Amino acid sequence: MATGKESFHARSVPAVPWGRILTLMLCLAVLALATWEYRMRQIGLQADDIGDGRGHWSVERRKLADSGPDAIAIVGASRILFDTNLELFEEKTGMRPVQLALPGTNARPFLEDLAQNRDFSGLVIVGITEVSFFREGLGLYRDALEYYRTESPSQRFGHLVHRFLSRFLAFIDDNYGLITLLERLPVQERSGVSGPYDQVWKLSIAEDDRQTYLWERIETDAFLRDHARHAWDDFRGDPVSREVIDSVIESTRRDIARIRERGGEVVFVRPPSSGPVLTNERLRAPRSRVWDRLLAETGAIGIHFEDDPRMTGLDLPEWSHLTGHDARIFTEAYVDVMIQRVDWIQQRLREH
Amino acid sequence: MLFNSLTFVVFFAVVLGLHSLPLPWRAKKLNLLIASYLFYAAWNPPFVLLLWLSTLVDWFVARALHREQRQTWRRGLLMLSIAVNLGILGYFKYGDFLLENWQLLMTAVGIDFRPPPWSIVLPVGISFYTFQTMAYSLDVYLRRAEPSRSFVDFALFVTFFPQLVAGPIVRPTQLIPQFARPRRATSDQLTWGLGLMTLGLFQKVVIADSLLAPAADKVFGAPEGLVFTDAWLGTLAFSGQIFCDFAGYSTTAIGVALCLGFSLPDNFRFPYAAIGFSDFWRRWHISLSTWLRDYLYVPLGGNRKGALRTYANLLTTMLLGGLWHGASWNFVAWGGLHGLYLAAERWLVRRRAGRGSGASPVNRIFLGLLTYVLVNLTWVLFRAQDFPTAWRLLGAMTGIAEGGQAVLPTVNILFVITIIPLMLMTHWWMRDRSLETVVRGAPWWLTATLWAGMLFAIIVTQGAGDAFIYFQF
Repeated sequence: MATGKESFHARSVPAVPWGRILTLMLCLAVLALATWEYRMRQIGLQADDIGDGRGHWSVERRKLADSGPDAIAIVGASRILFDTNLELFEEKTGMRPVQLALPGTNARPFLEDLAQNRDFSGLVIVGITEVSFFREGLGLYRDALEYYRTESPSQRFGHLVHRFLSRFLAFIDDNYGLITLLERLPVQERSGVSGPYDQVWKLSIAEDDRQTYLWERIETDAFLRDHARHAWDDFRGDPVSREVIDSVIESTRRDIARIRERGGEVVFVRPPSSGPVLTNERLRAPRSRVWDRLLAETGAIGIHFEDDPRMTGLDLPEWSHLTGHDARIFTEAYVDVMIQRVDWIQQRLREH
Repeated sequence: MLFNSLTFVVFFAVVLGLHSLPLPWRAKKLNLLIASYLFYAAWNPPFVLLLWLSTLVDWFVARALHREQRQTWRRGLLMLSIAVNLGILGYFKYGDFLLENWQLLMTAVGIDFRPPPWSIVLPVGISFYTFQTMAYSLDVYLRRAEPSRSFVDFALFVTFFPQLVAGPIVRPTQLIPQFARPRRATSDQLTWGLGLMTLGLFQKVVIADSLLAPAADKVFGAPEGLVFTDAWLGTLAFSGQIFCDFAGYSTTAIGVALCLGFSLPDNFRFPYAAIGFSDFWRRWHISLSTWLRDYLYVPLGGNRKGALRTYANLLTTMLLGGLWHGASWNFVAWGGLHGLYLAAERWLVRRRAGRGSGASPVNRIFLGLLTYVLVNLTWVLFRAQDFPTAWRLLGAMTGIAEGGQAVLPTVNILFVITIIPLMLMTHWWMRDRSLETVVRGAPWWLTATLWAGMLFAIIVTQGAGDAFIYFQF
């Protein structure tokens, strides 16, 4: 029995041939999607590129939480993300790092997160891109930690489905959504306004464990390569202020001290850059004011690409990230240096 | 769980499959009830407890209200229901706001009061289901309806997942009777329901989130003053975004329910074709405006106690309607402005009473556009994160503020100046029509092609899965 008298009106359904409509609609939709998928594969998108984002990052962060105190974590921005080959790292050390670096994002909150995590006493590799690490803002994925802490069951499940579908469908790629492509049409921009055309487009492909490489088309397609170079123009600016350098070094020193108190270690790695990007970085954050001070005042070990001949002269098509091939060379080189200089790794190698 | 998520696609397929099995009706209802709790828990499991609390309190209160004849006791029972429902709402939604304003008041009178930070998460859709359950107790108290005899039916009424988190706010007499008898969608209902879901998701994923939100976000997020054009374009973009977001949700909800064999009422009727504000509120968020009319405006006296009291009632109703949207003075101001519009319109209509028949077509278009422009001014208060931002925008839109910067990229401008006129023309053309009549009159192949186009656009747009704006209310 219901409440009171029934006052609802059954919704009417238009009297049309629904069977025919549904059949034609499905045929057209499948045809359009198949054509789109074909076109995206022609462009160079791959079905095994599962993409990246907060959901993928949270999976890795949970891995770190589950992997015991002796884990290796990589934090940083896109360079250490693209330029590290996890498989090679594992081959050389017997330990597979958890990749927590995020494109366009300041590494400091993630270093702080590990410093405050009492269960962590492992090794943190901090990829340094000076203009990203020495700034007040946190960048593109500033809310990644918040997302990880508050991720709902629905988001976690949705991420699994997304990952599953991405293995079969190349068109599932944030950078090649329909409206994203429309936004990137070359139109005359208003004075003083930067539009989606000028922003960073697709640069990478990502596999399981967030193993990320520079997208091959950046190497082979002159237009995309030039566009990527053009996008780095946005990173020009004033030199990093002394106040910012002081405060960043102080907070980093505190975080390192906390990690070391528990038996952990922190290593800074400066991946290569070249051309106008490197020139801009030298102007905004000269090595003597930033890198050298960082090492001197934190007492941490640092590996700078300029200090090792194996890490120089590598191929950076858009001046900021290594090709997949040269990322292996760079990884091998910096892991060799770590094996020679970092006690924490030497101890684990002896134990293994 | 969001309708525009892959999780929902899987969830809905399972629910639809279970609902189609040859099971007893009671088992199907229990399936729907469990699915509804899962739907809510998929966002934050502990908050299902709030749903249970609200369900149990109103279930027992309504039964007692029905049995009890003593007016004092009945009033006490109603107060208990209202206190529990508004207490939950107040604690989670308005606690921080009240504390913040209390602190400001104390500071103003020279008392240094520093409360600890109020870090309470707002349960999604709390305002919707609170109003829905309150309507149940109020209807029983007012003897408009009898309490449900089935606890499962009542629990499902509170929790029914298609409209749980953002409406339409359904009356007990609209939904509970539908749970009494077995329901399963016919193949036509199922197809039409899927079509409505596609339309709703197209509005949300493609138009609201992808085409209009970037312009609105840039303008309302600008730290400095804006030029006239950008301020207007950002506001127009928001007017389209919020319509497509919320109407998109409602259309999807109606489609989801229809696929399961249930009918939910319309929540929007092409509101930007409204001529005047009473017309606007008959077309915008209909389930809330009728709720406010029936449970607040009419009990306050409505228009039965003289002109001045009518204006005061309109203003009070809209101020509280504004506050329903969120714990912020911006929402109060938004509601207040709508209240003023309604009062002014009523005054004008009374003055013009008896002076000839309706307006000419040109005047109707002019009045429709004037209504839309004035509604846009209220959206500034609604969307701006604080009053300084709202004043800055309103200053730029009225030409009072000088200078200002341009922030909108050309492509965002192109999107806004293409979509907003199209939206207005569509609303105007559909003003006195329904979607059903238009589909009935259209060639079948055109319906199929448009449907395929929308489905394709949703899939290849790959929205970021942004939450619906009204979830926060």
